[in-house]
Amino acid sequence: MKKKNETLKKMQGKKGKKGSRELKQKILTPAQQAFLEKEEKIDKINEKLNRPIVGITYISAFLVIGLLVYILHFMIVDKDEVIANAANTRLDNYAADVIRGDIVTQDGETVATNRGDKRYYPHDEMFAHVVGYSEYTKAGIELVGNYYLLESHANIIERGINTLREEKNNGDTIVSTLNYELQKTAYDALGSANGAVVVMEPDTGRILSMVSKPDFNPNDIDDVWKEANSENTNSSVLLNRATQGLYPPGSTFKILTTLAFMRQNPGDFEEYHYNCSSEEQIFNSVTIHCFGRKIHGEEDLSAALANSCNQAYADIGTKLDVDKWKHTLEDFLFNKSLPYTDANATSRFYLDGKSDRGYIPQTAFGQGDTLITPLHNAMIVSTIANGGLMMKPYLIDSIENYKGKRIKKFSPSSYDTLLTTEEVDTLTSYMRKVVTNGTATDYFAGATYEAAGKTGTAEYANGNHDYSWFVGFGSIEEPEVAVSIIIEESDVNGVKAAAVARKLFDAYYSLSER
Amino acid sequence: MTSIIINVSKYIILILMALYTLSCFTAFRQDSEKMRDQKLNKQIIYVFLIHFLSYLTFALSNSEEMMGIVIFYGLQIFIATIYMYIYHYIYPYSSRVITNNMNFLLLIGYTMLTRLDFSLAKKQFVIATVSIILVSVIPMIMDKYKNLRNYGIVYGILGILALSSVFVIGVEQYGSVNWIKIFGITIQPSEFVKILFVFFIASMLSKSRDFKQVIITTGFAGVHMGVLVLEKDLGGALIFFVIFICMIYVGTGKVRYLFAFIAGGLAMAGLAFLLFKDRLFDHVMVRVNVWKNPWEDIRGTGYQITQSLFAIGSGGYFGTGLTKGSPEVIPVSESDFIFSAIAEEFGVLFALFLILVCFSCFICFVSIAMKVRNRFYKTMAFGFAICYMFQTFLSIGGVTKFIPSTGVTIPLVSYGGSSVLSSLVMFSIMQGISTIENKEAERIEEEKRNIEENAG
Repeated sequence: MKKKNETLKKMQGKKGKKGSRELKQKILTPAQQAFLEKEEKIDKINEKLNRPIVGITYISAFLVIGLLVYILHFMIVDKDEVIANAANTRLDNYAADVIRGDIVTQDGETVATNRGDKRYYPHDEMFAHVVGYSEYTKAGIELVGNYYLLESHANIIERGINTLREEKNNGDTIVSTLNYELQKTAYDALGSANGAVVVMEPDTGRILSMVSKPDFNPNDIDDVWKEANSENTNSSVLLNRATQGLYPPGSTFKILTTLAFMRQNPGDFEEYHYNCSSEEQIFNSVTIHCFGRKIHGEEDLSAALANSCNQAYADIGTKLDVDKWKHTLEDFLFNKSLPYTDANATSRFYLDGKSDRGYIPQTAFGQGDTLITPLHNAMIVSTIANGGLMMKPYLIDSIENYKGKRIKKFSPSSYDTLLTTEEVDTLTSYMRKVVTNGTATDYFAGATYEAAGKTGTAEYANGNHDYSWFVGFGSIEEPEVAVSIIIEESDVNGVKAAAVARKLFDAYYSLSER
Repeated sequence: MTSIIINVSKYIILILMALYTLSCFTAFRQDSEKMRDQKLNKQIIYVFLIHFLSYLTFALSNSEEMMGIVIFYGLQIFIATIYMYIYHYIYPYSSRVITNNMNFLLLIGYTMLTRLDFSLAKKQFVIATVSIILVSVIPMIMDKYKNLRNYGIVYGILGILALSSVFVIGVEQYGSVNWIKIFGITIQPSEFVKILFVFFIASMLSKSRDFKQVIITTGFAGVHMGVLVLEKDLGGALIFFVIFICMIYVGTGKVRYLFAFIAGGLAMAGLAFLLFKDRLFDHVMVRVNVWKNPWEDIRGTGYQITQSLFAIGSGGYFGTGLTKGSPEVIPVSESDFIFSAIAEEFGVLFALFLILVCFSCFICFVSIAMKVRNRFYKTMAFGFAICYMFQTFLSIGGVTKFIPSTGVTIPLVSYGGSSVLSSLVMFSIMQGISTIENKEAERIEEEKRNIEENAG
């Protein structure tokens, strides 16, 4: 570009000067002299007139170079993530030339492959939602990783030969972040209960296990699809409850209520105490009683969380500035879409400063209209475990060509720092107390690791049924695994989320010892 | 077999495109006339080969319309060849670089349109061909009537009237009321007023460059932009503004005007924003938000731009090959979003070369502006150069999410009668200025040679 302008300038100069310089030595008539001088003068003026043109041309060149660099940057850095978007329908065009690649777990179990020209899932229901399916519509890793499965990084000569023969190339393999052992543990622990489990690494956002029940066998997707879409059904087996199921958070919500209270009373939240002395108490003209009509006696903030005392939290709720409270929750992604690529539902918190104050007591301890997805709850507890930094959860660890050569590795990425160190320390010690001296103590008796967490029970169906929740992480010294578990109808099936958590932590630590 | 041909020809097309782009820039070098001619002839070969391979692909992959495609191909080559020969026969002083680039851009446009919608391609071809014949008289008129610079105010008034016509006989298209319908044909007046506007500023500033004249010019220009803003054609208003400040700067040579008007423009935009926030700038905010995060509403407001990015990204550096992608999914891929369609099937590298070709076209215009010594023509030539480049930049920058989308076409490539005709008028005016300049330069050279001979 620079050269260009110099050339232009030269062209400019050449025309008049070159000839005239030679001519000057010769004898000229006055008229000729005048003509040449006039020409030279015009050229000089012209050069001056051109200065703004050169300036603006440089600016234009700068903009065009910016555009070119931007497009290249897009191609090199952003392209893969952009076109891997599930809304990109172009991917299906690639299917014509490529055999869809396999999906394997991080510990080497194949969870999706091809048998004949049909997609085959060797572990049937176990990975149903998280790995998903690819026919009719796509879901799970089959959806978010569609682009990679349909790209082939096989040997270039091999690909060339295949193209000439008009044969299909082998698509790349997705190595997921999932761990087969943990997935199996979670799947078995849920048993016949409905609900969801999310296990993730707090410091990376890697999802180690994700189970949703009721489930389906993706190998029978034809029947499942027909059943799920027939008119007289309200079957929701295809719904991934871990990411799309909206549940009342129950007492797990007390973690964030505690945080909001801490933020609104920075100096003296530790001095808070509540005397839970009767079965029932009225707050903002709403009657509140604790779970099982228990009486907890004199409590500070940590004891209130450890005991999961509804009355104490109803009391805290009445002391909160609702707009600030909502603000804290929205920082934690309530009413916002999660930084997660697969389909997910948005957690809801409805209250604000104008709401009827009668809703506040219940909302403070996780009943009311608040709704949350298990994945979101896992992210919140992971943020606490990770020193306040929220990581974006992800499912795809790396891409290999079909012969196992690594093509691409995905690295963890953070969302934002949401907590201060002091807040992390306080919440961690409170959640530890839940396990050592609170509602989860029985479930973690004799554990070799130091877990922290929060149990929850949310009533639904007019109080006839219970959801059982547990969110937590281990260990408090070195947080490396976080869980979020919800069990539906736990009053009927007897499965308790905290018990499932115990099994998962045990499995995780016995695996890491190996 | 067909897929092998498509695959192979996609790489050959890319190589040809690279060669063409390279020759666009080396054509500025001061080689001997013979070498220059050779280079320009080679350019034509590259263009025709790219065009041939593309239509070969179309013919092979669409057996139903094969005959139609072959005939259409033949007609294009026929017109392009005839045009190039006749034009330089009539106008020996015109710039062959411009002719080549003009043909190149038109042919790439036809090719992509054939891919997207055969009937649109045919329509575009007819409009462009008729336009080419019509505009070919422009250099002649400009050469003959040297007093065009005397009608400054007339251009200004005509421009404002034409722009305002949409308030009387306007129809709404794509959310803006900037089209009019006459005899069943919808035209976009701003496309043509752009040209009048350049004439207007050039002639005003060639008369006088004192403060009063600048103020009068600014007043008229302000009315132009105001009308465009009222029509909600904010992309158009932006183009007029950029043309205006660049031409004022070049015409007066005073950098303080440039800064003053940029500051003034920003202030006006801010004021307008505050005054008409809800009524007028709703869709500006929508566009800015979509630009900031189109992923939030992929199926709604972000649909166009995300589809465009999918297309560009999915095609990759080398493209899917013609007919292998799905550019038709992008809304208005034939017009505003044609760049994405080209990038998907011809490949991003090809598309980058295309940007460079457009830029070389701009440099060519600039070099004419620099060579011509008459103030009127100089200012005007630079006005058109900026108009061309800025519009191309807005269009391509918009569809790649470099800048917020303004809904602007790429001159000569995108589908659209008004756009093609006005772009051809612009190119022809540049040919006119080039003709005038080259004639003048030759006259002076001759005079000098005479002096030399006599003196010797």
